[in-house]
Amino acid sequence: MDDIQEILEDFLVEAFELVEQLDQDLVELDTRPEDLELLNSIFRVAHTIKGSSSFLSFDVLTKLTHHMEDVLNKARKGELKLNEEIMDVVLESIDMMKTLLHCIRDNGDDTTIGMDLADIIGRLEAVSEGKEIPELSEDIQESSEVEETPKEEVKEESKEEEISSEDYSAMSDDEVEAEIERLLSEKKAEAKKKKQAKNAAEPEKKQPTKAAPVTKKTTNAAPPAKKHASTLEQTIRVEVSRLDHLMNLIGELVLGKNRLLKIYDDVEERYEGEKFLEELNQVVSAISLVTTDLQIAVMKTRMLPIAKVFNKFPRMVRDLSRELGKGIELKISGEDTELDKSIVEEIGDPLVHIIRNSCDHGIEDGDTREQRGKNRTGLIELKAYNEGNSIVIEITDDGNGLDADMLRVKCIEKGLISEREADAMGDKEAFALIFKPGFSTAEKLTNVSGRGVGMDVVKTNIEKLNGIIDIDSEIGKGTVIKMKIPLTLAIIQALLVGAQEEYYAIPLASVSETVRISLDEIYTVEGRNVLRLRDEVLSLVRLSDIFGVKQVYEAGEHTYVVVIGLAESKLGLIVDTLVGQEETVIKSMGDYLQGINGIAGATIRGDGGVTLIVDIASLMDMAKGLKVNIRESMQSQNKVKTKPEDYTVLIVDDSKMDRTIMKKSIDPIGIKIIEASNGQEALNTLKSGEHDIDIMLIDIEMPRMDGYTLASEIRKYSRYKNLPLIAVTSRTSKADRLRGVESGMTEYITKPYSPEYLENVVRKNTKLIAE
Amino acid sequence: MADKLNQILQKQQQQIHEPDHTDDDIIQLVGFIIGDEEYAIPILNIVEIIKPIEFTRVPSVPEYVLGVFNIRGSVIPLIDLRRKFNLTPMNNTGDTRYIVMKGEHNTAGFVIDRLTEAIRIKSNRIDPAPDSIGGDKGMIYGIGKREDSMLTILKVEALLKRDF
Repeated sequence: MDDIQEILEDFLVEAFELVEQLDQDLVELDTRPEDLELLNSIFRVAHTIKGSSSFLSFDVLTKLTHHMEDVLNKARKGELKLNEEIMDVVLESIDMMKTLLHCIRDNGDDTTIGMDLADIIGRLEAVSEGKEIPELSEDIQESSEVEETPKEEVKEESKEEEISSEDYSAMSDDEVEAEIERLLSEKKAEAKKKKQAKNAAEPEKKQPTKAAPVTKKTTNAAPPAKKHASTLEQTIRVEVSRLDHLMNLIGELVLGKNRLLKIYDDVEERYEGEKFLEELNQVVSAISLVTTDLQIAVMKTRMLPIAKVFNKFPRMVRDLSRELGKGIELKISGEDTELDKSIVEEIGDPLVHIIRNSCDHGIEDGDTREQRGKNRTGLIELKAYNEGNSIVIEITDDGNGLDADMLRVKCIEKGLISEREADAMGDKEAFALIFKPGFSTAEKLTNVSGRGVGMDVVKTNIEKLNGIIDIDSEIGKGTVIKMKIPLTLAIIQALLVGAQEEYYAIPLASVSETVRISLDEIYTVEGRNVLRLRDEVLSLVRLSDIFGVKQVYEAGEHTYVVVIGLAESKLGLIVDTLVGQEETVIKSMGDYLQGINGIAGATIRGDGGVTLIVDIASLMDMAKGLKVNIRESMQSQNKVKTKPEDYTVLIVDDSKMDRTIMKKSIDPIGIKIIEASNGQEALNTLKSGEHDIDIMLIDIEMPRMDGYTLASEIRKYSRYKNLPLIAVTSRTSKADRLRGVESGMTEYITKPYSPEYLENVVRKNTKLIAE
Repeated sequence: MADKLNQILQKQQQQIHEPDHTDDDIIQLVGFIIGDEEYAIPILNIVEIIKPIEFTRVPSVPEYVLGVFNIRGSVIPLIDLRRKFNLTPMNNTGDTRYIVMKGEHNTAGFVIDRLTEAIRIKSNRIDPAPDSIGGDKGMIYGIGKREDSMLTILKVEALLKRDF
């Protein structure tokens, strides 16, 4: 029982792989019908599936593949010329074969779904005998323009075909059985040969028979020759869970490495110049290098070429172009680009939707294209390439292009955005409207699109992968959709930022840039904080507001903005410090803290502490609901002060008598007065933030810290840059005055002074002018 | 002879299926203090007990979830039982400990004021929690009676259940 189960599983894995390849080869055949090598390989695939399925006694599948094989065999021998109709029938039968295989996978047999093969077999037979296809399928009839010529061709050759096709169809069951037997043994022999070939991989590869004409990768779909060559490479099937486990272990190792590096830094600082440091350095570097290599190597084992996804598109575009009656050519490049398995699985759906969209709305019909002076056949380009730690997938079409104004109008009509929002939108933002759920540019629903679901799927899937979508379009010229996706999900590069006393890791793939801005550059529009960054308007939020971090530090005049992008939207995140880039391993925080808003997980830093990783998607949602006037809250000193008692003066003098004199002089203003007896005390009072000090009167000669030092210390804080500091001293020389100015004093008053004079100076500097 | 053998075999079989209960009657607990009360949890649910270490605050969670901390490579939540039981929060003292508990699905650390002792108690000395105090979302497993005091035995699964 177990043996059978094992064989069955092997069969299914193999069959699905083969079918996929078959699909791709057939579409390719569409463009190069004369390629014998291609035909041969297609025939072999059909043949293999037939052999294996008969061995496992899946009769329905065997019967179907047998008839398919028939047609292909003739085409291979040149007895039958392939044309669109034949291809349609063959492709359809492949679809049925897939359905059967799925059925086998789910139920263990191919009879549960009770597929009726009579129709398709009838047509396959008809095709193979060169007769007209029975009028059972609708989509074949549509293509009447091409019908005439190919039929004649087929008829010409039909005489010879009769004989060979009779061969097969006239066979009795026993004969078929015998034939299958023969084919099976043939297959076994083939397998044996393959095994031998593997054992002697090197010499075999050089043999021209197997390696066939190795065509260089062109912009067309992958040529089969290469595929076959690659089967010669030695491979082992490994369970994905084992790879996942390996990846987890590597993750631990990376954390260990980070920690080691940190410890090394500490040790280096402490024992500078010691001899053993050199040795330690070598070990640490070697380990860190090996870890990185190991990580890359393991990551590579999880990587699949994106061809896995791209391969289904030629077929899809072909079907769509037939269905829509437009000529569409699909150009694929960069299908060798590799991506993590989990990402490859997620990326399929979005691409299907985007390409369908391009076919349906993007590419115009032939006549319109001609009027516009374009080639009758539309062109869709699918491109993949690496860019840093991400992969970029680009879908370009040379069709209609997006009309930003039209998009705005449509969205207002549908109530998706308000008119005011529409006005404030740039073209890029308007293009992004196509991702809104419920939006559709199609005038009417077609089979292909127009339900307003597709692009929303694109957005959600790409968001899930922490990817970024960028759309560029020109009316009448075409559209470029660019998707930037991180290479892997398990170990990510992150930007560490500080929000007050806490640190957070932002996935680097979502960071488009960081800028340092002055607070004056923050504008408030309708309660939203925005920043004008080049020609874009960027919403701003403070990371500490989103996560409710206690405000302990005073903000300076400048701040850092991390521009993050997700799918089609962007956001500016104000942080207090930028720490740097670090490799992080995402760890779950367990069921207990699953799905916390704004947090994707946690990672362990080099010092053994835990840092939270920001979930960009939910962070952006949280940011929408936030209403904090950043500028106001960051410039707390801008509190409106009207009455004299709102103001505070700090008197710094070591002599109590001098302080009393000063107090008496400025008392009439009604201003609040606090005192300090030396520079250090004054500085502490100021820094404690207990009092909001508006002006300071400072004596120069004081114990512990003199007036000059105090002034220059105060000026180091940007928030006190404009605080009036008034030197009140008995030093009268010019040099002293000069030093006062250098240290940052605002005014210089020499003792003795009249009380009125001091009062006036204070009034002037606090702008409390006497009535 | 064969009969006898069969009897022995049967007896053995029985023993395998119904292990005797004498040992099960004793439940081993670890007692600790929060506020003025002594609580206890089954010793088998405890992964380890550690002195306070640094933790990282997590946003948008209830106040009693202090944050997360790293225990040999795993990131686990830290829950302050004082806050959870609506007592006034207190700064860590030299006696403060984190008890790391493991349930069926979850692991978490809990802050307690101080440990008392390992306790062995007969299961028939444990009364179910009175209805009137069962209102604590069923956090209490039962009340253990001892010679001179009462002991509140907590339900680990309930403590580890997310209730926000």
